[in-house]
Amino acid sequence: MPVQITMPRLSDTMQSGTIVRWNVKEGDSVSSGTVVADVETDKATMEMPVYDDGVISKIMVAAGQQVPVGTPIAIIAVDGDDGSSTASNAVPAQGNASPAAPAASASPAAQQPPRPAVAPSTPAAPAERVRVSPLARRMAEELGVSLDAVRGTGPSGRIVKQDILAAAHQQPAPPAPAVLDTRAQPAQTALAIGTALGAGSSEVVVSGMRQAIARRLVESKSTIPHYQVSMRVNMDPLLELRTMLNAQLEPQGVKLSVNDFIVRACALAMAAHPFFNASWAGDRIILHGDVNVGVAVSLPAERGGGLVVAVLPHANRKGLRDISTETRALAEKARTRGLGPEDMAGATFTISNLGMFGVDNFTAIINPPNSAILACGAAVEQPVVRNHQLVVGHEMQATLSLDHRVIDGAMAAEFLQTVKHNLENPATLLV
Amino acid sequence: MTATMREIEFRDAVREAMSEEMRRDMRVMLIGEEVAQYNGAYKVSRGMLDEFGPRRVIDTPISESGFAGMAIGAAMLGLRPIVEFMSWSFSLVAADPILNNAPKMLYMSGGQYGCPVVFRGNDGAGGQLGSTHSWAVEGLFSNVPGLKMAIPSNPADAKGLMKTAIRDDDPVFFLESERLLSLKGDVPEGEHLIPFGQARVARVGRDCTLVSFGRPVHFCLEAADALAREGIDCEVLDMRTIRPLDAGAIVRSVRRTGACVVVDQSWSFGSPGSEVAALVHRECFDDLDNHVHRVHSADVPAPYSYDLEQEYLPNTRRVCEAVRACLYRA
Repeated sequence: MPVQITMPRLSDTMQSGTIVRWNVKEGDSVSSGTVVADVETDKATMEMPVYDDGVISKIMVAAGQQVPVGTPIAIIAVDGDDGSSTASNAVPAQGNASPAAPAASASPAAQQPPRPAVAPSTPAAPAERVRVSPLARRMAEELGVSLDAVRGTGPSGRIVKQDILAAAHQQPAPPAPAVLDTRAQPAQTALAIGTALGAGSSEVVVSGMRQAIARRLVESKSTIPHYQVSMRVNMDPLLELRTMLNAQLEPQGVKLSVNDFIVRACALAMAAHPFFNASWAGDRIILHGDVNVGVAVSLPAERGGGLVVAVLPHANRKGLRDISTETRALAEKARTRGLGPEDMAGATFTISNLGMFGVDNFTAIINPPNSAILACGAAVEQPVVRNHQLVVGHEMQATLSLDHRVIDGAMAAEFLQTVKHNLENPATLLV
Repeated sequence: MTATMREIEFRDAVREAMSEEMRRDMRVMLIGEEVAQYNGAYKVSRGMLDEFGPRRVIDTPISESGFAGMAIGAAMLGLRPIVEFMSWSFSLVAADPILNNAPKMLYMSGGQYGCPVVFRGNDGAGGQLGSTHSWAVEGLFSNVPGLKMAIPSNPADAKGLMKTAIRDDDPVFFLESERLLSLKGDVPEGEHLIPFGQARVARVGRDCTLVSFGRPVHFCLEAADALAREGIDCEVLDMRTIRPLDAGAIVRSVRRTGACVVVDQSWSFGSPGSEVAALVHRECFDDLDNHVHRVHSADVPAPYSYDLEQEYLPNTRRVCEAVRACLYRA
């Protein structure tokens, strides 16, 4: 019987997965445990093993393609199968269903039910597992050698003592890892905590999301030359307008947040400041067309905590009402069902807002491949000087973190001026 | 220590140990096939009948179960017998007394009866003796609690370990090798005792720890010489006794070298070699650059053919291959 391999659900929140790379091609033999592909989920890139012995008779989803969980992606012909007839008759390729060849899901009784590629109770394999002998791992730590920079010469690419010695020999200065090591960071942290464990201490297993956060932020903070620029914004006109709008829109179920205005203010500012909606690409800078604003959403502890960036696409083409409704829906989805990769893909600029917690100001880490992120504090009622008078008013501190490869300080100041102007003259955000 | 050394054969060292102990302690006696009038099938007991007389050097019929059981009874009642098995292969017919009685006596009698007996004889392949006469019993017998097992690799250790065995209050299984009986080496005259559970560092090295005992120690030393020419520096540990096992010596060495190869002429399944591997994996896990590699006799009954037997047994080439594999230099 042919065995159909479907896109596995590798995490609770995974809706779809992208085949990053096939490790096999049609005609290749596989056995139980063979890692046939690397699959990118909303949290990490994971190895996808199969649990049958046979020959890959058909690959139905090309590398780079994203498909929903459960979609057939390949077929294994086990002993005695005629793989080609299996592929053409019994199990049609995705999107190729016809009355003569019903899709697997349409006629489950007609054939072996598709077997999940990953048993539900099996924890997902850690991303990009590196095989290292215990001694080599210890020596790498002692010598400050990054395991990422070492090519293993042992069986299955295992990194062994001689590989570490060779790498240490080539390494210029012991304290600095030769190559940025994003993976070793959690391990080193775990070690540091482990050695300091005292009475009442405990360890928390790092989730896939936490690892993804760690990897991305280490990558960002250690490869992007960050700097910050802050500005105070008079929020009185906006708060006044918001109160009025919300009162009038309440019957329609609309409740605009301060953040919705900030999203709109930034999205509109991009027209005059295209480098804030851009990505560094090594030998060039990509200026993105539409403005897809990422909004950092913290997840509740019962969903494992952590942080996701929900993406509001085409924010520059949306009004406050749409921005508000969509942002609310995304945040709700993130906190209940979890976001799919499509909800988190393609941000060109990101906003992080801790104002609701009463934070005055903070700095954020750029969300690659963005070149800027705006960190907003609370609109705090405080003594302020307006028209040479000391009065009581609401001010918010907005702090930009910037990629200096793309944006220089004066540019940042000009962008902030535009955002400040938009927020202080909120009518511009309405029409 | 200024003990006078002479170069004597392994068999002379064993006899010297037995004779010295028999002079020292009237309770010590030797019993077995051909040990008296024939001076021993392998001439280990040459001259002992003349010196100690037929009451203490006793010839027996071909009846291992009988004379082993008799010796155990004598040990229980105060004597300190040495039982010679012409070959450890023949001890199998005495399995009940030597495994079921001797090692358990102290335990089962609630401490009333000890069993200070030494069983000794040739162990391992003698050279084309066929499957039933080529037993390496270290794997089989070391499984049993209550006994001690000494496996000397050289004349000096043979003397020192035998004297300790005779004075020990527990049953001691003393494994000699027909292939080593004519081996010559410097042996101290007079009192020479080697405590049990104390390994000998036969060669100092830094790249890989070779753990062995008995005859295969020589293959390890030859392999270490050959590997030194390839730039691989092996440390060779001669364990001397399997029970007790000097775990500390193994762990200290492997923590330094990060690699371990066990060479054990018994079969691999449930053997001293597997015990050492388990020990090293437990105690030295974070120090290892590779899993413990093991060289054993092939997992088949011993072949008769000369060429097959050479390949069946651990040998210098197989030890070299295991060390290279363990160091990823294969």
